[in-house]
Amino acid sequence: MIPIAFYLALAAIIFSIGLYGLMTQRSGIRILMCVELMLNAANLNLVAFSSYNGDLTGQVFALFSIALAACEAAIGFAILMAIYRMKDTISLETINILRW
Amino acid sequence: MAVEDFAFLIPLLPALAFVLTFFLGKKLPTGGAIIPIAAIATSFVISLLITLNLLANPEEVVNQSYNWFSMFNIGILVDPLAAVMLTMVSFVSLLIHIYSVGYMSHDKAPSRYFAETALFTASMLGLILSDNILQLFICWELVGVCSYLLIGFWYEKPSAASAAKKAFLTTRVGDVMFLAGIVILFSDLFKIFNGTIPEGVYILRFDEIFTHIPEIAALNANILGMDVSHITIITLLFFGGAVGKSGQFPLHVWLPDAMEGPTTVSALIHAATMVTAGVYLVARTFPMFIAAPDSLMIVAYLGAFTAIFAATMGIVMNDIKRVLAYSTISQLGYMMLGLGVGAAIGAEAVGISIFHLINHAFFKALLFLCAGSVIHAVGTHDMRQLGGVAKVMPITAATMIAASLALAGIGIPGTSIGTSGFFSKDAIIESAYLFGETTGTWIPYALSIAAALLTSLYIFRLLFMTFYGKPRTDYGGHESPASMTIPLSILAVFALVFGGLTSQRFNTFVSETFVNNFVHMDIAELASIGGYHLASHAGHEPILILWMPLIVALAGFLIAFLVYGLKIVNMDSLVSRNNPIYKLLYNRYYQNAIFTNFFSVKVIYEGFAFAGRAIDRGFDWIVKWMSDLTLEAGESLRQFQTGKVQNYATAVITGVSLLVILIKVVMEVL
Repeated sequence: MIPIAFYLALAAIIFSIGLYGLMTQRSGIRILMCVELMLNAANLNLVAFSSYNGDLTGQVFALFSIALAACEAAIGFAILMAIYRMKDTISLETINILRW
Repeated sequence: MAVEDFAFLIPLLPALAFVLTFFLGKKLPTGGAIIPIAAIATSFVISLLITLNLLANPEEVVNQSYNWFSMFNIGILVDPLAAVMLTMVSFVSLLIHIYSVGYMSHDKAPSRYFAETALFTASMLGLILSDNILQLFICWELVGVCSYLLIGFWYEKPSAASAAKKAFLTTRVGDVMFLAGIVILFSDLFKIFNGTIPEGVYILRFDEIFTHIPEIAALNANILGMDVSHITIITLLFFGGAVGKSGQFPLHVWLPDAMEGPTTVSALIHAATMVTAGVYLVARTFPMFIAAPDSLMIVAYLGAFTAIFAATMGIVMNDIKRVLAYSTISQLGYMMLGLGVGAAIGAEAVGISIFHLINHAFFKALLFLCAGSVIHAVGTHDMRQLGGVAKVMPITAATMIAASLALAGIGIPGTSIGTSGFFSKDAIIESAYLFGETTGTWIPYALSIAAALLTSLYIFRLLFMTFYGKPRTDYGGHESPASMTIPLSILAVFALVFGGLTSQRFNTFVSETFVNNFVHMDIAELASIGGYHLASHAGHEPILILWMPLIVALAGFLIAFLVYGLKIVNMDSLVSRNNPIYKLLYNRYYQNAIFTNFFSVKVIYEGFAFAGRAIDRGFDWIVKWMSDLTLEAGESLRQFQTGKVQNYATAVITGVSLLVILIKVVMEVL
């Protein structure tokens, strides 16, 4: 059996990649992808702990999380589509009209 | 129930009348004058009954007192001193109210007038009844407010409005000193009790204060390198209050201007309800004064000086009411002198001073009401336009002559024949002589004799100019209605005979306030604390001294008769703007000018303007600094709002990370 530390390390790496992307990328789609990465890193953790503890609650929770992520992605892409129609770009740097 | 149980009604009835008249007066005939008249009449009856009872049983002093809060009480005290004052104030006030019905009949707002005079009377009666100094101070301030309201009764007249302000502000100077005196007294008493006041002991009650006089006198303060007893400071501050209220030099300036109100108000202020408050305060706290080194000397000197100072101005005024106003100041000077000579004659000084106060109330109220009667009928108060009024208004003229005789102090020494003013003024002048003998300073006596000459001179000048000779202008006029002449006649009887009837009894009655009645005090012992040597008032003055006041009074009459009656002596060269002395007197020693132009304009106006500007700038700067700070802080803080979603994400991550680290650290530590 693969030790749990491996799963956790993988999840941490994925999470860090997502975080890095979130903080550096400018394209809306890429940022959404990064958010998905971080979310899935968390799901990975849930499933890993669930399997390790022999408790199914974590896996059920992960399923919920995935469903929520789908919703989130749908709304996020819808917003990005609207922005694209308005501005002809999805670079988030241009979405700052409410700034000072 | 004995009549003493109703003593508390004496000030309360007029106060109630104030409320009723104020709200209902407009719907009643003559502005609801009947309400205050009935109330004050009842007060008068109660006061009179209590006084008569006290005369018969001197030990039955009324003293009721209730807890107000903490160490302060609210209470009434009617000892002989208060009783005679109460009777006089309610009596004179009653007559003035009856007179006012006729006098104010043409006025627009008689109900406001009667409401305010009722409150005025109520506050004065409350002041007299107070058994503690705090309550006295409250009523003292109420009197001040009422005087402001009544002097400015015709507030549409700018001169009346400014006279009211002047009266209020000038007396305020004194009031502040009085309050300071109370505060020092309170803190001293607190110290004497070591800060623990037993239940039921009210430290500002007069008997409590008087019991602790020796201890207060033992406290010393160092002022400008001199050791000054606390009791001297307190009494001088009290006297400062009296100076303001009773129009002593240099705070007398408000009194002549107070003539802007209705003449009846002048009569109230000058005779019954206001200016006597200062004299009463000094008389009430006399045991403190006599235990205070130097205080009584200052009282005597200032009183004598005021007497002559005001009299000199009285002889040159042309406004009939102004002459009377200066006369009041001068007579108040006499009363203060009468108290001051207590340094030589002890508690008897209170008797003679209050005796003069009462007599003065009768004839001064009468003088003002007569003047009011003339003004009411003729419509002018410039004496140069009057003359020969006696033919038109015989009753007014007759009563005015009675009052003038009383003011000038005409009577035969050594007998009990004479006008009221004769007995009391002579008593004061004789005591001033005794004061000179005892202390070796003759200035007060000399000033009081000179003032007696001037008193007679100015009052007979007024009489001759107003009532004698031929009319100088065509003024018409008629005798006043009965509601005005009847009070005049009653007052005239009192002005003529009250002094003669009571002079034997009065002094002993009032003086014994502080000897037998309400606190048992040894005045001689207190005087030794103050360093005064009391002489026995045995009447061993030389015969010339006894006759001197009468001689100077007759001399004054003679001069006035020659100059203004027969016009034998032509005074035109003296009475002109070219004569520097006349000019000085006519301009009232330029004191008003100095007060107004220098003190008011330069010191208060410009000084305050400067200070105000500085403070304004200071506040401006603070406000501007605060707004600038806010703006700049906002300017720099809003840079954080970049509008870039990545930055927000970074901030969130950083925050969460820091939170996790913090929790971790805390957990480790715990």
